[in-house]
Amino acid sequence: MTDTAIAASALGKRFGRRGGWALRDCTFRLPAGRVCAVVGPNGAGKSTLLALAAGLLGATEGELTVLGTTPAGARARIGYVAQDKPLYPQLTVAETLRMGADLNPGHWDAAAAERITAAGDLDPKSRVRALSGGQRTRVALALALGKRPELLLLDEPMADLDPLARHELMGVLMVQAAQHGTTIAMSSHVVAELEDSCDHLLLIGGGRVRLAGEIDDLLTAHARVAVPADTDLAPHTVVESRTTGRQLSALVRPAGPLPDDWHAATPSLEELVLAHLRNPEAPVLTPAEEAVA
Amino acid sequence: MTALSAPAPAARPRLTGWLLRLHRPALYVWTALVLLTAALLLLLHGPMADAAAESWRRYDACGFDTTCAYGQSAILRYKDWYNYATLAAALVPFLTAAWAGGALLGKELESGTARLSWTQSSTPVRWLAVRLAAPAVLVTAGTGLLAWLHYLAWTAGRGRIDSAKDWYDIGTFHTSGPVLVALSLAGLAAGALAGLLWRRTLPALASGLLLTAVIWGVHLELLPHLWPTLGRSGHGYVASPSGSWTVSHGGNAARYHVTYHPYAHYWPLQLTATAVLLTVTALLTVGCFVVLRRLTGKAATR
Repeated sequence: MTDTAIAASALGKRFGRRGGWALRDCTFRLPAGRVCAVVGPNGAGKSTLLALAAGLLGATEGELTVLGTTPAGARARIGYVAQDKPLYPQLTVAETLRMGADLNPGHWDAAAAERITAAGDLDPKSRVRALSGGQRTRVALALALGKRPELLLLDEPMADLDPLARHELMGVLMVQAAQHGTTIAMSSHVVAELEDSCDHLLLIGGGRVRLAGEIDDLLTAHARVAVPADTDLAPHTVVESRTTGRQLSALVRPAGPLPDDWHAATPSLEELVLAHLRNPEAPVLTPAEEAVA
Repeated sequence: MTALSAPAPAARPRLTGWLLRLHRPALYVWTALVLLTAALLLLLHGPMADAAAESWRRYDACGFDTTCAYGQSAILRYKDWYNYATLAAALVPFLTAAWAGGALLGKELESGTARLSWTQSSTPVRWLAVRLAAPAVLVTAGTGLLAWLHYLAWTAGRGRIDSAKDWYDIGTFHTSGPVLVALSLAGLAAGALAGLLWRRTLPALASGLLLTAVIWGVHLELLPHLWPTLGRSGHGYVASPSGSWTVSHGGNAARYHVTYHPYAHYWPLQLTATAVLLTVTALLTVGCFVVLRRLTGKAATR
């Protein structure tokens, strides 16, 4: 058992020999037991990162350690749900779960898997091809959770769920994380979707890690300030600043205590994420990595 | 009853059973095709060949009597159904290639269910190995049976039915021996490679077919040269012996020569062609695993 679920160092993935880099120079550490939001705009490299961690792709460069071993070595201990929730359409719900049991001998929790499908009022005898998008998500999650994974990788898991099902399935995931200590990494481009449930953030933009760390640490490391337009913000690191008339609003990383008249406030997660995405030149911040180093 | 339903921790993931379940329609179609063609071949071997032979015997007895009734319909029936059976067997390599490229691999890679399988507890390599091995066993069993029955049906008519096909007839040669098995396995591997390369159903299906057609075409070109031919030459026109396969003939009035394969070369040709095709199959299979490794990186094997 290791206290690190995923550790990447200088990880890069390029598709084809002359293709562009989907992911480059990614260094971060996800401690075990966390619920991690993998956030970034569409095409940022979130899916590539999750597929690398699931052992579906080989890295082009760098190192990736999952649960203390290689992604492929951890295959039996990882649950993965791809973005489009692929399932065999010709199988019934019950058959799909039975397949999960047969393909994961020794570590299949049939009761847990059936609980998830039963909670969605899914007829075990209905074919996967007849299910709605949300129902398919439920079956795909049941298949991934039935495996009793130590690490659960979910690529846009809630995208095609109605708010009610989203809330309920998020609850299922949180219970899983709390009861079994499962590390969960789930991607989304909707930050608000993950804000309440996640305690760790991995912000990816343009194929690189922009922010990585505990959400609380990241939020307290930043401040939203409102100052007169001619104020010099040095020595604090400015992530984003905007001047409106004589007013300067900025998101800064304080290098020390901020003057009281700067009206400093803790930003919301969404503000933090958007500020970093709008300003790709803002320096990368990975507190966890620094703490380890 | 505990929450864990799996029998023993050391149990191996049961991939083959689920492969057969996922492709149950194809399995049914294959079984039906083999059984129907086998039944037809048994009919051809027995009653239909006997009836046609009897008609030919009567025809020969008729001599020049044009009003003599000899039962032409039995002869035509044997000929027609023999051709249908040959066609059904000869299409197997192509059917296999189309299915392997489209349904077996192209569709799984296109829809993402391949990734679903790769994130269960067994490696992509094992996933592919099962997807090649299980169909290979079924294809070998089915085509082996068909080839053997076709050989019996053909030999039943040989020498008794004047309109029976020659041994070197393309259809007959390729459906009456291990060449049919080898061609079908090559089709399976070609389709699989196409599926892995395209990762989409329709292009994989089409290029699997095309690749199999190319293999078949090149094989047809090479076939006469896979075993040393016999030759005859002399003044004036020289013919190859009756019942032999003329490979080349030419020359001039002073010196004419002909090369041919006698019927005795039937099995040597069958066996060398089979060996060549199995080598091609092996290369295509290696190609499949190379492509899979490129897709999944080092993760493929562990």
